[in-house]
Amino acid sequence: MSVLDGIAIVGVAETAIGKLPGRSAISLQAEAGVAAVATAGLAKDDIDGVFSFSGYSQAMMLHAARVAEHLGLRPELAVVTDVGGPGTHHAALLNVATAIDAGMCTTALCTYGENGISIRRSGRGRAPGTLTGGEDFEAPHGQIAMISGYALFAQRHMHLYGTTSEQLGAVAVASRYHASLNDNAHKREPITLDDHQASPMISSPLRRLDCSLISDAGGAFVVTSIDRARSLGVPFVRVLGYGAATTHHIPSQAPDLHELGGPVAAARAFERAGLTVGDADAVYIHDACTFSVVAGVEALGLCGEGEGGPYAESGALVLGSACPVNLHGGMLSHGHAGGVFHLLDAVRQLQGAAGRRQVEGAGVVVAHGNGGVFSTFSTMVLGRGE
Amino acid sequence: MTGKPRPDVGDAATAPYWEAAARHELMLPRCDRCGLVFFPPRQLCPGCWSDELSWQQVGGGGTVWTFTEVHVPFYDDTWADDVPYVVAVIELDEGPRLLAGIVEADTERLAIGDRVNVVFEDRPERVTLPVFRVVPRLDGGS
Repeated sequence: MSVLDGIAIVGVAETAIGKLPGRSAISLQAEAGVAAVATAGLAKDDIDGVFSFSGYSQAMMLHAARVAEHLGLRPELAVVTDVGGPGTHHAALLNVATAIDAGMCTTALCTYGENGISIRRSGRGRAPGTLTGGEDFEAPHGQIAMISGYALFAQRHMHLYGTTSEQLGAVAVASRYHASLNDNAHKREPITLDDHQASPMISSPLRRLDCSLISDAGGAFVVTSIDRARSLGVPFVRVLGYGAATTHHIPSQAPDLHELGGPVAAARAFERAGLTVGDADAVYIHDACTFSVVAGVEALGLCGEGEGGPYAESGALVLGSACPVNLHGGMLSHGHAGGVFHLLDAVRQLQGAAGRRQVEGAGVVVAHGNGGVFSTFSTMVLGRGE
Repeated sequence: MTGKPRPDVGDAATAPYWEAAARHELMLPRCDRCGLVFFPPRQLCPGCWSDELSWQQVGGGGTVWTFTEVHVPFYDDTWADDVPYVVAVIELDEGPRLLAGIVEADTERLAIGDRVNVVFEDRPERVTLPVFRVVPRLDGGS
């Protein structure tokens, strides 16, 4: 028995995604939060816990207290989690579950989002070199962006396993196809493999269309006890298994590809759920770049070690396959404002609310991925609540 | 152009590394208790948590573990005059891996597994960075 067995996700919402001039990150988080509470059939007075993260484009102190103040809430707990990537949102679920179990909260609002485009107007964006953690030993050499950190691992995967740029391109094309089915996606116009191959090199071997977007957007979800969820009359989602792994912080200190934390996090989550990846109807992989999806399908066991490239090229990522990946369009096409949208769309699939990208009868959906540069991994196996 | 990132050379745990670099020597911390040679430098051994450490000069040879050629200046124009430039993870012969630039790289031929040797770059930011240069292969390759 885990505290996670006692909670349910009862509402999710996201703002418009793209270039939203003049919108602050806090306003986007608040807008998504209010909408998520409404979709759960709840109201402001029902919220007695706030869990959040500022995101990295403008990292803040006491961010959850800021969200609470902005929304006029005075909860017992206002807690930030920063695990990196999806781990931030997954660890928030663990914190909410613990708070509910401890009697410190009954219904929590969890908000995320950034204005990574529009923050440049204000001049308040992050200082280069502070994000990747290698202030002393990496940034002085020009390792200042996340994407060049990812490029280091994509390059090594190509060397060890023969992965090709075209195989990475298959990830980009699949993501954009899914985004074309999602009216709220940042980039919806379909792309071809030729478009991918013609896009300029950013940090070899990653091209522009291998990179996730930067977006202005907010996303939020509402969590309460299973008992209360059952009384709300809305479709809700349960945590079936959660697993994580942490191996390093800066890229140079990473173990080799086969020792990264992805397979460990996934195995822990599936074991705790009593399920296997074969039970999953869809998966959502945190896609800071196309290569993250290649690594993710390997980590989840959808294919063998080193086989992620051919797996992507086979069409297995696309809606209609046995286990489609990133049906909302991922950070490659739907939008990137901290990566919460994978979890939100996993919930929508299980609520049967995913519109044209719905997997009929989805009963088990997995959210997975890394923070940092493959530094932390997190896997959340989710199921329909009853 | 804003200045390039400069390491905190006054950090007591890492200062000997930068002082050695200024003398064009590559020195790494070595644990007196368990013998681990490690990077980045810190005030304790990450293997056994001993704080009894010595500094050891290492040979400066290694292999390219992975690399990327950065084609765009990220965030602002700080690196605009440098692109394209190569960032690599080097596996030193003594074991530790570190991230560093590769100077005068022939990027058409640069490959994982290439042998490299340390060279020292005295930078206008009042710091000397250990960087690497590919050792020419006997078969006529890079």
